[in-house]
Amino acid sequence: MNIILALIPVSLVLLGVGVAAFFWAVDDAQYDDLDTPALAPLVDDDATRTDEPARR
Amino acid sequence: MPGACFHCGEPIGGGVPLLATIGTQSHPVCCIGCRAAVEWIDGLGLADYYRLREVTGERAAPADDYAEWDRPRLARRHVRELGADRAEATVLVEGMRCAACAWLIERALARRDGVHEATVSPLVQRVRIVFDPSRVRLPALLATLARLGYRPHPLEGDRIDALRTGERRAALKRLVVAGFGAMQAMMYAVALYAGAFDGIDPAVRAFLRWMGMLVATPVVLYAARPFFAGAVREWRARRLSMDTPVALAIGAIYTGSVVATVFGGAEVYFDSVCMFVFLLLLGRYVELRARQRAGEVADALVRLQPATAERCTEGACETIGVHELEPGQVVRVGAGATFPVDGVLRGARCRVDESLLTGESAACLREVGDEVVAGSVALDGPVEVEVRRVGPATVLSALARMVERAAAARPRIARLADAAAARFVVRVLAATGVVALTWAAIDPTRAFASAVAVLVISCPCAFALAAPSALTRAVGVLARRGVMVVDADALEAFAGVDRIVFDKTGTLTEPAIDVASLRVARGSREGALALAAALEQASTHPYARALRDAARGLALPAIADVRETGGGVLGRFDGHTLRLGRPDFALVDGDGDALVLADDAGEIARFPIVERVRAGAREAIDALQAAGVACEIVSGDHAERVQRVAVALGVAEWRARATPEAKLAHLASLRTRGDAVAAVGDGVNDAPALGGADVAITLGEGAALAQAASGIVLAGSDLGGIVDARGVARSMLAVVRRNLRWTFAYNLLAIPLAALGLVPPWLAAIGMSASSLVVVANTFAIGRTRAAARPAPPAAASVPLARVQAA
Repeated sequence: MNIILALIPVSLVLLGVGVAAFFWAVDDAQYDDLDTPALAPLVDDDATRTDEPARR
Repeated sequence: MPGACFHCGEPIGGGVPLLATIGTQSHPVCCIGCRAAVEWIDGLGLADYYRLREVTGERAAPADDYAEWDRPRLARRHVRELGADRAEATVLVEGMRCAACAWLIERALARRDGVHEATVSPLVQRVRIVFDPSRVRLPALLATLARLGYRPHPLEGDRIDALRTGERRAALKRLVVAGFGAMQAMMYAVALYAGAFDGIDPAVRAFLRWMGMLVATPVVLYAARPFFAGAVREWRARRLSMDTPVALAIGAIYTGSVVATVFGGAEVYFDSVCMFVFLLLLGRYVELRARQRAGEVADALVRLQPATAERCTEGACETIGVHELEPGQVVRVGAGATFPVDGVLRGARCRVDESLLTGESAACLREVGDEVVAGSVALDGPVEVEVRRVGPATVLSALARMVERAAAARPRIARLADAAAARFVVRVLAATGVVALTWAAIDPTRAFASAVAVLVISCPCAFALAAPSALTRAVGVLARRGVMVVDADALEAFAGVDRIVFDKTGTLTEPAIDVASLRVARGSREGALALAAALEQASTHPYARALRDAARGLALPAIADVRETGGGVLGRFDGHTLRLGRPDFALVDGDGDALVLADDAGEIARFPIVERVRAGAREAIDALQAAGVACEIVSGDHAERVQRVAVALGVAEWRARATPEAKLAHLASLRTRGDAVAAVGDGVNDAPALGGADVAITLGEGAALAQAASGIVLAGSDLGGIVDARGVARSMLAVVRRNLRWTFAYNLLAIPLAALGLVPPWLAAIGMSASSLVVVANTFAIGRTRAAARPAPPAAASVPLARVQAA
C-alpha cells in the first residue's frame, strides 16, 4: 500500500503539468476560435506559404 | 432554367447565362459582381472556400472607394501604431457567416504584401489586421475585404474586445481548475468512503485528507474567487443574492474540512466543495458565452452613422471624417447616401427617407431651408446641407440615448430561482447554526460534523442549477428554431406576457408587387415584369426583392449598364435606356405612388406597390390570441393602412400615426394598468418603444440598433417564432418551478435527518449529486412539445395571403 504514498504525489505533479499546459493553451488563443482551425487540414496548401511564422 | 448562383445562392434569371470558371469547371453565377468574386477568389488560390463553407456567401457588392480611410485624422482613430513598421486595425466584417468565411478572409488578407498577420474571430465578426503602413494602407485592405463580398467597418479601438476575451479566458481557466480538482478530490474521497466501511490505516487516511486539501485549495482560492468577490460586492451594496450564501457555504465547508484535516476531525468534504464550485462555474461559463455573443450586436450602432462626409468649400469638395465637421460648414450628400449630420438643406429640394426616426414608410419632401437629420437617407441628390449639429448633439444620438434610458429604466426582473435559492440558503445557514449550537450543548464532538453534514446534504447545487440549466436548455432549443434570446430575463418575462404590441411596417407586412392590378402601357405583362426584375437583379432594396419575387419563374433578359441611383435603377436594353423607379424618376412629369418602368418613349408599365401581410403572421397572431394573449398594432403609418392590416389579421386594437414618444407613452400606460407587455418591431424607429416594453422582440432583418435594445431576436422573418418562444418560455418556467418544488421536498426530508446525525457522509454526497441530476434531467422536458406549442405552417408558402392595398 505504501506505493500510493509515491504515486499520488506523482499524479498531482502530472495534474499540475496538465493545468499549466492548459493555461498556456488558453493564453495562446487556442480556445478563442474552435471552428476555423478544423478546416485547415482539408486545404491543399502550396508549399511556399510563409504566413505561419508571422502569426506568432 | 439554371439553378442558384454558385457564389451567393440567389436564383439565376434566364437570358445570357453568366459562367464563372474554376480550373476546368464552369459554375453558373447570377451577376457580374459574383463572377468577379468567384474568379478573384480562384485567382488567389482560395477556391477551396466553396468546398468548405456551410452557408452561401453574400452577394458581391461593388468595391466602394475606401480612400478616405487614409486621411490622417480619420486613420488616427482607427489605426494604432505598434512600432516602426507595424500598425493594427480592428475591422468589423459584415456578412461573415461561417468558419469558411473566416478562413477565406484570413488567407486573402495574409497573402497581401505588407500584412503581418490577420486574425479572424468568427464569433464576433471581427478581423484584427497587423500590417506595415509603409507597404500597404488601410484602404487597400478594406477594398480587399469588399472584393470578397463582405462589408468592412473599421472600429475605433478594441478595448471592449480585449476585455471580453480576457473575461472569457479567465472563466475557462477557472472552470478547468475546478474540474480537475473535482475529479482528483473525488478519487481521494472514494478511497476515504471505502475506508470508512472496510477500515483504513489512520496514517493513510490522514495522507488522503492532506492530498484532498492540496487539490481543493487552488479550487477554493482561485477558481471560486468570483463567488467571494461577488459576495463582498453584495455585502457592500447591502443586497443579498446568490453569491453570499454560495461563498459562505464554500468557505464554511472548506474551513471545516481543513480544520478536520489538521486537527483530526470526523469527516472532510473536499470533494463536495470542488464539485460544487465546478458545477456552479460550468453554469456561469455557459451564461457568459451566450451573453457575450449577444452583446456584440450592440456594436452595430457604429454602422448607422457614416464616418465620412464630403465637405464643400467654394465649389471644391473633399472627403473628411465626420468628426472634423463644424456647424456652419457645408457638406454634400449623394443620392442614396445617409446624412452624416443634422443640418439645413441648401440649393435644391430633395426627398428624404426618415423611416429611421419617424417610422414613416413613405418618403417626405424637404424644401430648401428645411431641417434634415443625421441617419436619414437622401433619395435624390446630390444635395448640399449646412451643418447644424454634429456627433452627440444629433437627433440620432439622442435617439440612441433614449434607447439606453428606456432600457435602464426597465424594472429588473428578479429571478425566481435566484431569490428562492438565496432565501433557502439563508435558512440553511440558520439551521446549520442551530444544529451546531444544539449539538454543542449535547455532544460537542459531533457538533461540527453534523453542521457540515447539513450544509453538504442541503448543498444548494440543485437550487443553483434549477434556473440556469432550464434557461440554458430553453435558449438552446429556441436557437435551433431560429429564435435568439439576447437577454435571459426577457425569456422569463415573456412567459408572463399577456399583451403583445406589434409594429406594422416591416414587422407584420412586407412590400409586394400587386401583379393583378399591374398596368401595362406597351408590350406584355410578363415582358414588363421580366425587364423590371432584371433591372433590379442586383439591388437589395425591399422593392427590388418584391419585384424579383413577382417575376419568379420568368426568363430574365440581360440588361447592360445597370446603374442604381437614389431614385431608381437605370439600364440599357435593346438600344433603349430603361428607367425603373418612382414615377418622378422614371418619367419626365410622373406622379403617383407606384413603381414605373419607362424607356425613352415613355411609360412601359406601372407596378402598384402593396403591403402584403407576411407569411405566417395571421397564424402567429391567431395562435397568440387563442392562447389568451391580447394583440395590438401601434404604427407610425396612416390610419387607413393600419386599419386594413389590422382587419386582415383579425386584430381589434390598433393605433396609427404614433411617434416614438407616443409609442413609449402608450406602452408605459399599458404597464401602469398592470399588463405585462411585449413589443415586436423591426427598425431603429421602434427602438425606444421596444426598450420601454417588458420584453422587446425584433425581427433579425431589422436594423441593428433595435436588436441591441431587444431581448429576443427572431432570425429571418418568421413570426411563428414568437409563438415558439412563448411556449418554450412557459415550459421553462414550469420546469424551474417543478425543480424548485422537488429540491424543496428533498431538502425538507434530508436536512432533519442530517441534523439528527443520521446521515453518513457517503449518503449525503449521493443525495447531493442525485438531487442535482434530477434537476438537470427535468430540463429535457423543455421543447419536447413543439407540435402543441405551434400550429403547423401553411401548406404552401407560395399561396398568396390576404393582400392589403397600400395606396
